[in-house]
Amino acid sequence: MQKLKMFVLSLVMAFISISVQAQTTKKSTDETIQVKTSSVCNMCKKSLEKAMAYEKGVKSSSLDVNSQVLTVVFDSRKTNADNIRKTVNATGYDADDKPADARAYNKLDDCCKKENGVH
Amino acid sequence: MPSNFISPILAKAFTVLVFALIALPATAQQLHGRIADQTDPTQPLVGASVVWKGTAKGTATDANGQFILETSDVQTSEVIVSYLGYKPDTLNVSGKTEVSILLSRSTTIKEAVVEGQKERYSSLTPTNSQIITTRDLEKSACCNLAESFETNASVEVTTTDAVSGAKQIQMLGLDGAYTLLTTDNIPSLRGLATPYRLNYLSGTYIESIDIIKGMGSVLNGYESISGQVNVKLKDPEKTERLYFNLYGNSLAKFDANLNVSAQVSPKWSTVLMLHGNHLGNRVDRNNDGFMDVALGTQYNVFNKWKYTHNAIVSEFGINALTEERLGGQTNYEKDQPAGQNYGTESDTDRLFAYNKTSYTFPGKPYQSIGLISSATHHKFNSLYGLRRYDGEQNSASGRLIFQSIIGHTGHTYKVGLSYNLDDYTETFNGQNFSRTEHVPGAFAEYIFNNAENLTVVAGARVDFHNLYGNIFTPRLNVKYDLTANSIFRVAAGKGYRVANPLSENTGAMVSSRSFIFQEDLDPEEAWNVGGSFTHYFELGGRPGAFITDYYYTTFNNQVVADMYSNRNAIEFYNLVGRSYSNSFQAELQYEVLKGFDVKTAYKYFDVKATYNGQLMQKPMIPEHRFFVNLGFATPFDKWRADLTTQFFGLMPLASMDEADHNHPNNLIGKRNSDRFYTVNAQVTRAFKRWDVYVGGENLLNFRQPDPIMGASDPFGSDFDGSMVWGPITGRVIYAGLRYRID
Repeated sequence: MQKLKMFVLSLVMAFISISVQAQTTKKSTDETIQVKTSSVCNMCKKSLEKAMAYEKGVKSSSLDVNSQVLTVVFDSRKTNADNIRKTVNATGYDADDKPADARAYNKLDDCCKKENGVH
Repeated sequence: MPSNFISPILAKAFTVLVFALIALPATAQQLHGRIADQTDPTQPLVGASVVWKGTAKGTATDANGQFILETSDVQTSEVIVSYLGYKPDTLNVSGKTEVSILLSRSTTIKEAVVEGQKERYSSLTPTNSQIITTRDLEKSACCNLAESFETNASVEVTTTDAVSGAKQIQMLGLDGAYTLLTTDNIPSLRGLATPYRLNYLSGTYIESIDIIKGMGSVLNGYESISGQVNVKLKDPEKTERLYFNLYGNSLAKFDANLNVSAQVSPKWSTVLMLHGNHLGNRVDRNNDGFMDVALGTQYNVFNKWKYTHNAIVSEFGINALTEERLGGQTNYEKDQPAGQNYGTESDTDRLFAYNKTSYTFPGKPYQSIGLISSATHHKFNSLYGLRRYDGEQNSASGRLIFQSIIGHTGHTYKVGLSYNLDDYTETFNGQNFSRTEHVPGAFAEYIFNNAENLTVVAGARVDFHNLYGNIFTPRLNVKYDLTANSIFRVAAGKGYRVANPLSENTGAMVSSRSFIFQEDLDPEEAWNVGGSFTHYFELGGRPGAFITDYYYTTFNNQVVADMYSNRNAIEFYNLVGRSYSNSFQAELQYEVLKGFDVKTAYKYFDVKATYNGQLMQKPMIPEHRFFVNLGFATPFDKWRADLTTQFFGLMPLASMDEADHNHPNNLIGKRNSDRFYTVNAQVTRAFKRWDVYVGGENLLNFRQPDPIMGASDPFGSDFDGSMVWGPITGRVIYAGLRYRID
């Protein structure tokens, strides 16, 4: 009986340690980047965050409309910062020093054009 | 050392400067300003918003267009000024205490089609308008215009007869022929194209659909009576580079669609849209010996070009389609000896081309001139049992519109000239029906806008019809915003159209009824008066809208298609007495939970006409209808699910029963439909480029019992397949996929 208890206990401990280990290894591949974009409004926020949600490896994203900074958490095994900036460009917005894809920018609603300034 | 000497002075100067900088904002703690219209600075913009850039701190202008902003606790020196219908402006106001800001009008009040962003009921247009967006279109089965209205409460889609499967739209309880159908604001699919017109536009060609209830603008002609449906086709400049759609359903109907677009040069862009559908499988689930759905094959090509250069924008489009349909008894084949089996056939070829060119005057964004021209060739050969019905329509039209302002943009006007040519040739059972219409016309529309809460659109047109004389069409639309969230609209006006009794009643050809023209038919003329109230609200942080409207249409003349009076005939004559429609609708939309939208509507129709001296409810229009649409979407629309249920009340039907006709004191043969529900549902899973969807129509599997009267003897006197009031096919399951490259 005692032996069985010990066995179960050690099994549980083993599982816990494995899962902790798994979590830490998982965490270590998560990276966060901040991208300065040319987004100007809440509509831009929606379309950017939506585009990010469909990107492989992206775990979460959030745009701060006022500072125009897009914060993206991604799995570095599946994607990288360049891909994320490319997606921002393909959605019609500048990403840091990289300019927006011209066609995508033209497609943006008037409200999202950067001449409008943050509003 | 000189440096030792200078530094105390520098230090002193620096201290003074710092003090000055601190003191400056202290003396100028407020920014005063006035905002006005650029073209007329005497016109203040009331309620314009002024916000410090990058903050939420701001204010709105008062009744004189003036505002005061606190500057004390703000880091930025820029303000953003914005006003609905005007271009927003960013200004540096550092050091200023007073500013005067002039805003210029946006050339168009563009209502963006952005997924999920858009209110389905527009708060901007002077007419009672609804928008079906691409996202809404994706909620229903693929792939034609008929299915596009499935999740919309204002437009009903009905089946004209049980054999050919032709579908029609209804608005305000009135036949689809009274609704003006336009593509990119060009009247199209009119006249002889009416019976199957909803099949001629693939859902994948459509960017969005605007539905205007009641009277609209006079610019598009005199024909609309119950409303207008404008289909916005994909814009070559903005649509997906590649869009591909495949669809199949449990009846073995297949649809394939492909759109390709390209920016050919900085000035030219193009989109090529292809659509094909095919149903080759004979289905007879109700075992009446007739196919439940007509077989058919259609090939449809639409090519659109857009040219943009400075002030000139021009669009060219060409559409060609060919369609074959075959319906009737399950063992009916083409070219069988007449009278062996009952069948319907129709072969259609259609060609449509148009051009829209506009020029905006330099430095005057409010002034433009536009030329719209189109040409249509439509030809069909059809067979309904023993009756042959062939037709050809050749049409051409041109419109010149000039738009400008009177003084300032609060008063705008449009004037123009139009010319329409319609050449119709129809042969029905060896009888010829031909006519050629030449209609030159002139129109003017004046728009008053007080930039605050009132818009008035008053228009009139005069047309000189070669067959029916002069036609005067006045129309009025008023929009009044009680508050920003409560909007009243009134619409009144006259509509006019020349009926095509044969093509509008192809359903009756699928019966033993003979077609009797009692007299020469006059054009139809009707007044329509109505209004709506829209209220947008927010409850628990989620948006909702309540919309109610009422429209009354009364006919001065109507071509009455009487199936009540004579059990063996459909009789056509000019209205003697009254014919009217009362239509009431109340609709509530609310996002109950994040991502979970509910749309409910109740509709009441009282549609009556005088048949042979007796005022009767029109056949096949239910008095009461309910509509509920539940829409669910996970964040970013990765999963979407939709459920639409509709309830149909009793509908009166024309009867062929001897007993009904011979009843004492009752010359009218009438019976009723059953009450019934339909349920449609769809689930979509979206990936970056792919969408996969599965859905079902008529999930309750409700079927109209005996949709074809006298089905056992289709060449006998009791045969009638025109009284279709419910689904014939029962449950249909479908699945499909979409692929796109933006």
